[in-house]
Amino acid sequence: MMREQTSMTGTLTKRSMKKSKGRNLVAVLAVVMTTMMFTTLFTLAQSMGKNLTQMYLHQSGTSAHATCKDVTDEQYEQIAEHPDVTESGKSIVVGLAENPDLAGRQVEIRYGNDIYARQDFAYPTAGEMPQREDEIALDTLTLERLGIACKLGQQVTLEWRQDIRSEEKTSSTFTLCGFWEGNLSVYASMAWVSEGFALEACKGAGEAADGQVCGLRMMGISFDDTKDIDGKTQKVLADCGCPELDFQTNYAYSDEMRHSIFMENLPMYVGMALVFLAGYLIIFNVFQISVASDIQFYGKLKTLGMTGKQIRKMILGQGSLLSLLGIPAGLVLGYLLGIVLMPVLMSLPDTDAVISANPVIFIGSALFAFMTVMISCLLPARLAGKVSPIEALRYTDVDSGIRRKDKKSEKGASLTGMAWSNLWRNRKRTILVILSLTLGLVLMSFFYAKNASFDMEKYLLELAAADYQIDDATNERVGGYDPNSRTISDGLIRDISALEGLEGTGRLYSREVSMPLSIQACENYQEFYTEEELENYASFDPTFPKWKENFDHVMNGGEAIHTVYGADGMILEAVAGKDYILAGEYDAERFAGGDYVLAIGPSLEAPEEVLPTYSVGEKIQIENREFTVMAVLNPLQPMVEGSHPVFDVPLVMPAKVFTELWPGSNLRKFYFDVDDGNMENAAELLQAYQQTESADMNIVSRKTMEEQYEAETRSKAVMGYSVSIVIALVGILNYINSMVTAIISRKKEFAMIQSVGMTKRQLRRMLAFEGLYYVVLTLLIAYILSTVAVGVIVRALVAGGYATFQFTLMPLVGCTPVLILLAFVIPYICFRKLEKQSVVERLRTAE
Amino acid sequence: MSILSTTHLTKQYGKEPNVVNALNDVNISIEEGEFVAIIGTSGSGKSTLLHMLGGLDRPTSGSVRVDHFELGKLSDEDLTVFRRQRIGFIFQNYNLVPILNVYENITMPIRLDGKKPDRKYIQDILALLGLEKKIYNMPNTLSGGQQQRVAIARALASKPAIILADEPTGNLDSRTSEEVIGLLKVTSKKYGQTIVMITHNPEIAEQAGRCIRIEDGRVYE
Repeated sequence: MMREQTSMTGTLTKRSMKKSKGRNLVAVLAVVMTTMMFTTLFTLAQSMGKNLTQMYLHQSGTSAHATCKDVTDEQYEQIAEHPDVTESGKSIVVGLAENPDLAGRQVEIRYGNDIYARQDFAYPTAGEMPQREDEIALDTLTLERLGIACKLGQQVTLEWRQDIRSEEKTSSTFTLCGFWEGNLSVYASMAWVSEGFALEACKGAGEAADGQVCGLRMMGISFDDTKDIDGKTQKVLADCGCPELDFQTNYAYSDEMRHSIFMENLPMYVGMALVFLAGYLIIFNVFQISVASDIQFYGKLKTLGMTGKQIRKMILGQGSLLSLLGIPAGLVLGYLLGIVLMPVLMSLPDTDAVISANPVIFIGSALFAFMTVMISCLLPARLAGKVSPIEALRYTDVDSGIRRKDKKSEKGASLTGMAWSNLWRNRKRTILVILSLTLGLVLMSFFYAKNASFDMEKYLLELAAADYQIDDATNERVGGYDPNSRTISDGLIRDISALEGLEGTGRLYSREVSMPLSIQACENYQEFYTEEELENYASFDPTFPKWKENFDHVMNGGEAIHTVYGADGMILEAVAGKDYILAGEYDAERFAGGDYVLAIGPSLEAPEEVLPTYSVGEKIQIENREFTVMAVLNPLQPMVEGSHPVFDVPLVMPAKVFTELWPGSNLRKFYFDVDDGNMENAAELLQAYQQTESADMNIVSRKTMEEQYEAETRSKAVMGYSVSIVIALVGILNYINSMVTAIISRKKEFAMIQSVGMTKRQLRRMLAFEGLYYVVLTLLIAYILSTVAVGVIVRALVAGGYATFQFTLMPLVGCTPVLILLAFVIPYICFRKLEKQSVVERLRTAE
Repeated sequence: MSILSTTHLTKQYGKEPNVVNALNDVNISIEEGEFVAIIGTSGSGKSTLLHMLGGLDRPTSGSVRVDHFELGKLSDEDLTVFRRQRIGFIFQNYNLVPILNVYENITMPIRLDGKKPDRKYIQDILALLGLEKKIYNMPNTLSGGQQQRVAIARALASKPAIILADEPTGNLDSRTSEEVIGLLKVTSKKYGQTIVMITHNPEIAEQAGRCIRIEDGRVYE
């Protein structure tokens, strides 16, 4: 006898699956594509998040959740033993290595326990941490600088000062016991020595003497998770009785960073929503068609005692089985696609793109895809479950709602008329298919137009004011720019000035000055930042609370930090360029006289009545010298880019005046142009300097900007295109499926029409017309919607960005002949298949 | 008490102005163990009445009572469950599920109910209907008479109290018809079932214990 373990519903589910092979193929393909896109987008989102976090962590220099730069041994023990603290790293500072070879790169000689070294991304990958007093572990960057081979057992001599206020240097020689790959995005290199050496160096002192670094104890702690690090740290410190300790929470874990990662990933999430929509449109349609054509089968089952619930379970079961087939393939394909796309997408410097293989990706994508299938099957399942046994016998595959009562036409049956009527036999399905096709087409047009609008010239002007720009190492430092940093040395400027083909230079100094704002300026601020403006500001800038705090402080008469820039040459010309002036007029000659400053306002699209800074004509005292505000400017990125206080008032004065006020100032940025023939020489000069003198010097060249521009457009284009192409493919698949099933399900009807006199040729033409109507309608809607999407949305999106709007519908024009071809080919192929059976045979087939 | 009864049963199809009265104030009562034939011309409302009796369709007004169940008061789900437990249907076009084999078709209503078929009983039925050798056949490999026998077996499988048959012999030749009716009578007697059968065939109607004639939706006994 039969085995009877499986349930009847299960048996029926599986058997009825076997019956509809064509449908299954289409559905599985749809599931594969949906899953593939989900996986790719998930992989990219995860990997982006991982890479960005890694980059932020490297920039902050540690993976510890909170760090303290000055603790006692006793406090360290207490905090380390606190139950909330899962990891604690400890370090004792000895000093800075000051070998001439290391100039420009900070190398810190320290003792660190294993955890601390790991937290600082400085744990030896070869060898081990120092144990004996004459051992040392270094990174490869430092070893290279010192000219020492990366081999254990090498002798390393470092010079350092025990008392940083005296000039007396100590020279210590060690044996290399471990090394690791150095990373330039980490601010300083570590030189690990043993605890014994460190204690010996600071002569056993429990803490550093006033103003000294030798003997400074540093600590990094981590918790279970990164939620509310601030609060957890406060609690630990309070519990340990040392709330006065200055613990810094790691900004890489802050909400701002999370927000920034989220924003980076936003396009991926939008893509997922679109993929879900496309997946829904096709899977729903496939099941709807299949249920509708099998409705009598379901009616029969109901007559024989299957409940609506059991029928629904059967349909959902079929959806699950198809998912089981499609999802694994989609996962694999999607992950592979993710691996291919990731390097294209990541254009971060100094970071190898890491592909995340987090199981969450696969579980998430599988769940998402499965959810899409289930949601898509829900309505068809309800339709099948609701079928009344009697009605099923009469059911024809047309909308039951709006039925025409009569048709006042005496023209008789024309082929085109019949084809048109056939198209609307099932309104919902026709609309669904057209929507599905249109979605992909419109998206393609949208992305294409958006990319085509990207304008290289505008982009470069905004980001690079000169062929070459060099920034001080501390320009982007988290703690703020250090005016004492001397990355751009006089020697370098001399070398650059001696370059052949030099066409122009520009200097930029900067310094922060604290002083109260004038009453007029305060009024300007308050008038500009209306409630509405503040809300708007708060909505997009995560640093808003801090900004608002400082803002209120200044408005109440507190001192405001003024970032005073001293500029000359090409950077001054650029910043005071016509397009950047918001108020007042710039007169180069009078400005050079030294009695004027320029105020920099917020970045605005168009000049406004009131600007939040000093008014033109106002007098300002800086370092006891009086200046008059000449004009208000829009900020120019190449000038203001870099760290600055959350709330600051930027002012620009001539570089000459700046150096008069603050003699001996160091350059923050330097700009120069060379003729095309000497580009190479300039690049070599800068690279050599970077390698030998200052690894942290940032070089911006118009050329690298161009490359970055390309990387940026390419990555976004690849993303956009891959999503829209898959969606368009899904649309086409949907179209093919609908056409094919529409023809096959009318097999009998065609036989009937043929039996009363329609010729094969006529039938074929009628079908071709049907296909054509589909495509023409789709194209009509796609052209209209794309025109709106491109003409309105893209135009609005690219306004103000680095783009010049360009109206184009290229992808749509390209797809038009393909779709029209399909309209003819599909009916033709289907008809060929139908023809194999004679009219009589087709008329007789019962089910 | 009668096992099957209707009171003022009316069924209308369509909407104004095209209302069709398929059944008009039908009052019948059928006792347990009866073999009743329903006769009438096509379009007279025979099938509608049978569908109403079996709970496949809902009345416009009036009620249908089976045992002590008022069918109109059951929800769709409950009605389906009720049907597969209490009523065996036999259709003119057999209504076998093409993707299931003979045995599966026969046991389907029982399995849908989540119960185990009574093998002994089913083997008895199969033997009685001469289907023992066909249990693994798919429906499309059987002749019309064989398919109808499978349908009868399915109707009997859940040991229903009532069997409703809609022209069970309509698609069969006269010899096979004779045979099928004979089998129905034998099994219903053996298992004490009530049979209500629609037929066009006067000879078959004569074999029934009682005849109910329907014309234009009204009953004439």
